[in-house]
Amino acid sequence: MTTITATPITVLAEEAPPPGARRRRRRVRWGTWITLAVISLFGFAPVYWLLATSLTPSDQVFAFPPTLFPKEVTFSHYATVFGNEAIFVYFRNSVIVSVITAVLSVIVSMYMGYAFSKYRFAGRKSLMYFVLSSQMFPQALLLVTLYLVFAQFGLLNTYLALILSFTTFTLPLCVWMLKGFFDALPDDLIEAARIDGAGPWRIFHSIVLPLAAPGLVAAGLFAFVRGWNDFIFALTLAGPDRQTLPPGLVNTFISEASTSWPALMAASLVVSVPVCIAFILLQRFLVGGITAGAVKG
Amino acid sequence: MTTSRVAAPDAAARRTRGTPLSERTFLAFLLLPGIVLLCAIVLYPLIRSLISAFFDENLLYPGMTFVGLQNIIGVLTTEFGPLLTQTLIFTVGATVAPFVIGLALALVLNQTFRGQRFLRGAFLIPWLIPGVVVSFLWMWIFDANYGVLNGILLSIGVIDSPIAWLFQTDTARVALIVAKTWNTFPWIMVMLLAALQTVPAELHEAAAMDGAGTVRRFFTVTWPHIRGVAGLVVLLEFIWNFQHFDTIFVLTGGGPAGTTNTFATEVYDTAFKGYDLGHAGALGILWMALLTILVVVYVWLSERGEKGARG
Repeated sequence: MTTITATPITVLAEEAPPPGARRRRRRVRWGTWITLAVISLFGFAPVYWLLATSLTPSDQVFAFPPTLFPKEVTFSHYATVFGNEAIFVYFRNSVIVSVITAVLSVIVSMYMGYAFSKYRFAGRKSLMYFVLSSQMFPQALLLVTLYLVFAQFGLLNTYLALILSFTTFTLPLCVWMLKGFFDALPDDLIEAARIDGAGPWRIFHSIVLPLAAPGLVAAGLFAFVRGWNDFIFALTLAGPDRQTLPPGLVNTFISEASTSWPALMAASLVVSVPVCIAFILLQRFLVGGITAGAVKG
Repeated sequence: MTTSRVAAPDAAARRTRGTPLSERTFLAFLLLPGIVLLCAIVLYPLIRSLISAFFDENLLYPGMTFVGLQNIIGVLTTEFGPLLTQTLIFTVGATVAPFVIGLALALVLNQTFRGQRFLRGAFLIPWLIPGVVVSFLWMWIFDANYGVLNGILLSIGVIDSPIAWLFQTDTARVALIVAKTWNTFPWIMVMLLAALQTVPAELHEAAAMDGAGTVRRFFTVTWPHIRGVAGLVVLLEFIWNFQHFDTIFVLTGGGPAGTTNTFATEVYDTAFKGYDLGHAGALGILWMALLTILVVVYVWLSERGEKGARG
């Protein structure tokens, strides 16, 4: 698993610096700081603006030119967001759909990932590449038929429609993440259990799964975040009662006539917080897993 | 490094041939749920929508009539060219810009300095923020009347009057790329930083001893080590951007006057606003053909990467 650790590469040639090294090193340092400053501005200024807008009183938000630093701070926009009953419905829907999506994705992908990792069978390679490439099928295209199929089975505007459709884009990466985790488990362990007389079912559920628990949590979290963030599937397949937060926010705060920007920014921050918390908790696994899912063939 | 982790050697893994029946049943049990689900929610919808391409099928009236290649020829002779150009503009821009920024940042954050660990985490924020929030945020920044971008540019005298960024062809395209770049560069930074960890520090020291400058050392020492990951990241980003929907749909909706319309927004509009499934399927089949080429290249490259790692 990839963990990001510091590798000091600029601390070079402590002894016997080659001619001009000092000057060069200074130039490197300047270049470094300027690059860092420019990228920081690009990366962090929008985040600051998101936060600042959500805390600025409405009359100042719609003043022009905009004030970069709010003269007074207000939490009234957050009160607006939490005072809106529709938001709570969207929030509840988001939680239900994302959690069930995560659980379903983990259960299905742990079995598949284990098969890919520890068994060699005919068609294994093709199946693996089908799973991998299915995350590259355009969502907009799948959506059209998913809509028709769900309509046919009377599933439109249900949680099930959202959960199943979210699984289309969580499953491939979950399978690959978990395959990576199982790959790291030594085969000897399974061999030993087998010699002790344990059947494959028992080996998987009582020996392998507990060891892969961190991987299961990471994959589940990844699926949760993807479900939480989805916009297009929820917008199209869920009716007003089952709408999740991302399309719900559009319905609530954006209209042709006027957009309540500070309230939308406040709501946006509220939506982003669960994702950030989830990530901070399991950063190590997630970064490693996503890196593996993308790069490992 | 993950790329170098080698798959379990075949000999150690259980082969299905000659294994007891219970193992085979178990394997079927492992694979079936995934296969069933993927066929039902990915493969069937995909094939079904591609089949529509050969029929005159509209949600407004029942039934479907076989029309052969008529839909596909119709799309090829009208909107395919402009759509491909517009999709490519977005895809290339939204791949190259975050790659350059992500690479520069990865190189900077691969050095040791106070606060480097904190920054590595903090720079992930733009990537963690849900895509639709990213779109809201940039919509607000680019707002013609009250947007902060116009505010700053006006007050430092770069422009004389506010610009409606999202409502002019050229600026709308750039705006989309900027928003997507902001969302993507941290991921590229993470991937490249992971690759940079594989570069042995001794090589840098040796090259520095030999008097190689920073630029020289980058191309002779660093780049060969991260080239594989960089290539896959760029290709993957290219594939994802080629089918990206959210940012475009929310920020410009394909406008002004359809000039930021890509395959993704056009297929969506054709199906859900025009109800013309035959037409949407025809667009889809051409779109999928292009994507398939990219995916095949991706699979080939990652396959080669794994073989290389295995030695």
